[in-house]
Amino acid sequence: MSWAQILVDGVALGAAYALVALGFVLVLNAAGAVNFAQGDLVMAGGFAAIVLASLVPLGGIAVPGLVLAPMVAVAGGLAGWLVAEIAYRPLRRRPPVAVFISTIAVGIMLQHGANGLFGASERRTPPMMAGEPFAFAGLTVSRQSLAIVATAAIVILLLHLLLERTQLGRRLRAAAEDPDMARAIGIPVRRLTALAFALGAALAALAGLLLANVYFVTPTAGLAFMLKAYIAVTIGGWGSLRGAVAGAFLVALFEVIAARLLNASLADALLYAALLAALLLRPQGLFGEAAGRRA
Amino acid sequence: MNARSILAAAGPAPVWVLAAAAVAVYGTLAQSYGLKLLAIAGCYTLAVLGYQFVFGRIGALSLAQGAFFGLGAYTSALLALKLGWDFARTLPAAIALAVALAAIVGASVLRLGSHYFALATLAVAELLHILAVEWLRLTGGGNGLPGVPGFRLFDFTIPAGWPAALFVWIVVAMGALLAMNYAASLYGDGSRLLRAHPLAAASAGIGEPGRRMAAFLLSAAFGAAGGALYVHTLGVVSPEALQFDVMVLILCMTVIGGRNAVAGAALGALLLVHLPEWFRAFEQWALFAYGAGLLVCIIAAPEGIAGAVEALWRRMFGPPRVAVLAAPAPPSEMAAPPPAGDTIVLAAQALGIAFGGNRALTGATFHIRAGEIVGLIGPNGSGKTTLLNLLSGFYRPDLGRVLLGGHDVTALPAWRRARLGIARSFQHAALADDMTALDNVAVASAECGPARLANILRLPGRDRRRRQARARAFAALEAVGAAASAGKRGADLGTSERRLVELARALVAEPKVMLLDEPAAGLSEAEKHALQSLLRGLAARGIGIVIVDHGMPFLLPLADRVVCLDAGAILAAGTPQEVAADPAVRRAYLGGAAP
Repeated sequence: MSWAQILVDGVALGAAYALVALGFVLVLNAAGAVNFAQGDLVMAGGFAAIVLASLVPLGGIAVPGLVLAPMVAVAGGLAGWLVAEIAYRPLRRRPPVAVFISTIAVGIMLQHGANGLFGASERRTPPMMAGEPFAFAGLTVSRQSLAIVATAAIVILLLHLLLERTQLGRRLRAAAEDPDMARAIGIPVRRLTALAFALGAALAALAGLLLANVYFVTPTAGLAFMLKAYIAVTIGGWGSLRGAVAGAFLVALFEVIAARLLNASLADALLYAALLAALLLRPQGLFGEAAGRRA
Repeated sequence: MNARSILAAAGPAPVWVLAAAAVAVYGTLAQSYGLKLLAIAGCYTLAVLGYQFVFGRIGALSLAQGAFFGLGAYTSALLALKLGWDFARTLPAAIALAVALAAIVGASVLRLGSHYFALATLAVAELLHILAVEWLRLTGGGNGLPGVPGFRLFDFTIPAGWPAALFVWIVVAMGALLAMNYAASLYGDGSRLLRAHPLAAASAGIGEPGRRMAAFLLSAAFGAAGGALYVHTLGVVSPEALQFDVMVLILCMTVIGGRNAVAGAALGALLLVHLPEWFRAFEQWALFAYGAGLLVCIIAAPEGIAGAVEALWRRMFGPPRVAVLAAPAPPSEMAAPPPAGDTIVLAAQALGIAFGGNRALTGATFHIRAGEIVGLIGPNGSGKTTLLNLLSGFYRPDLGRVLLGGHDVTALPAWRRARLGIARSFQHAALADDMTALDNVAVASAECGPARLANILRLPGRDRRRRQARARAFAALEAVGAAASAGKRGADLGTSERRLVELARALVAEPKVMLLDEPAAGLSEAEKHALQSLLRGLAARGIGIVIVDHGMPFLLPLADRVVCLDAGAILAAGTPQEVAADPAVRRAYLGGAAP
């Protein structure tokens, strides 16, 4: 595999990680707490896509991921709203560590629920669009890689417009900034926090649909996604949306390059070692800490 | 009756007794497989006891407890297999390696915020897991290594079954003894306040970085010991011991059993080890049930089963020995510092601080003399509390210096300044809800010297410093007129009681200066009068007192001098009459036109 090829793969992987990391930051900013179930929501998104694909009647033709994507996002959103109501709302006045634990609990339930329902074997989601890969200038770009990048770009653009250009987005940011003040001026903070959880989970589920076609999915896959998103958000500056996207691409490129030079397992080891070094040298992240020490 | 006997029984440990009885009954009925499960539950109990130090007592979310468990397992197994060492040598080696790793990790990430600490400890755990899988020649890779021998001490092999299970639980009991001593020591009380209210703890002289490190090292030592016991019980070692699932299991046991109670550790471990056995048909759903149990507990029973049982016990039998508390206290003399005349005890020199672009305080200069009461007034947001926070060391100033008794303390953290004589109370009285009023005060008792971790090596209840501190705390509570509240838990105290208890905590440290943030808020007129004469009495003993308050009828007759802040700067300073008559002060704060 040429280096250019590795770069292409890294960008596709980074785009999917960016969705996961963005969802993580949305919840972090709205609730001031870490949603540790984010990785397991990615895994659940993959399984949801597989189930939906078997339910949608298309006369025996394989259902393309493109058709499934909106449904998976909605299912993810519902799951995120449930997480907000069950695991966040009762604990919102308690220290952030309580939400950390409750979302770990949600993650355990998702993981072992999937294991009970589907078993431990590897599964694969349908591709976004079936067909031959594109080839030019010695590079092979699979349709799925292109679809991942395109989907992520569209979703990130929509999210940017939502947060920066709409009244809903402004309210969401106000509620994240100072919940008590926002409540005082009549912003429905509770619903907006639930919305942030729903959006975050929808992004995770979409990433699950996209990634599980290339890398397969197992019930235990969530922890790795969680760690990568967590690392992306840490090196991108805790709480920064832009930093999360940048961090996601950095993590993905690091991963594919190290995997090429060593092997996948050692690449992960090197990533964790690099993270520890980064925490030691620049605890404020690469772009500074946007959300303060709230979690 | 004296304070000593009053609170010797700080709480019943019925759960502990019940757990021991349950283990005994179960053990006599069990077959060999059951005995193995019993031993495994013991191994996890030890790991959970360790996790309680860092997660339960300090409140730091470590995700490396499973890793210390696995590291202990691998170390002990490899030393036994490759070098033929006996357990008397592999156990200390396993503990030493885990503690060394914890020291390196802790030194680099313990100072970071909790979300980074959680991530860093998780990364370390994943690194160890990858190492166990990849280092084939040493660890046997993914399959692990079979044939790990049972327990052998020197030349004596402990037979499997009953003797092995008993041996495991004897080691657990030794660990439990240490943990109980920690919980029942002045040092442990300090940690409880630290977890509940870090700022209040700092102003009581608690919050030294070594305390968090000690808790983390203890967690590693206990985790590794649990893992070492586990591997010789099981007879094989594989990367499963280092999977995140082990961490999750330990976390569930800790939260479900009870995050602080020693009995809770045993309860949680016994319950979760046996749950899959009781519901064999649903075995693969057992971990799902753990997740659900964790969620339910963290929401509905944050103190776990042990906490729920203790709360029930309190409801049925009442708080321990409240009646005795009305008895007269010991005549423990509060050594009054000699009146110091005109000495300046605390001085602020041109203090300034900005938050973002907002200049909260610009060049505030003032001082407090020994025995003087200074009132600090001003509109909301004028910088009163900011000034107190700068003086007590919660904020570092951008400009200026703080002098305590002539020495520059600007660079010192709050807990150091507290030990040097700056005491502090808070707008919302900050007490630990799960500690008695007496213990809430005792933790700040400086006369006995700072509490030391080494005290936990004594026998339970033999912490002499704690007894002395409690006697002094009782005297301080008497001095503020709150001796009757001594036995109540923080959660059960009323508003005025909380204020007085906090005042006693400030007083017991025998401070040079007391910084009181709205001490009269929520008090009745009669209580305010009592507080006034109390504060006058303290000032007469040479303590300099700074009071922030909005109640002019309370503050003006009390203060020797008044300083009025507005928009982060000192607007006026002088006698109460002068300041109250100052036109600028009337415009900015007191209201009404200037006369």
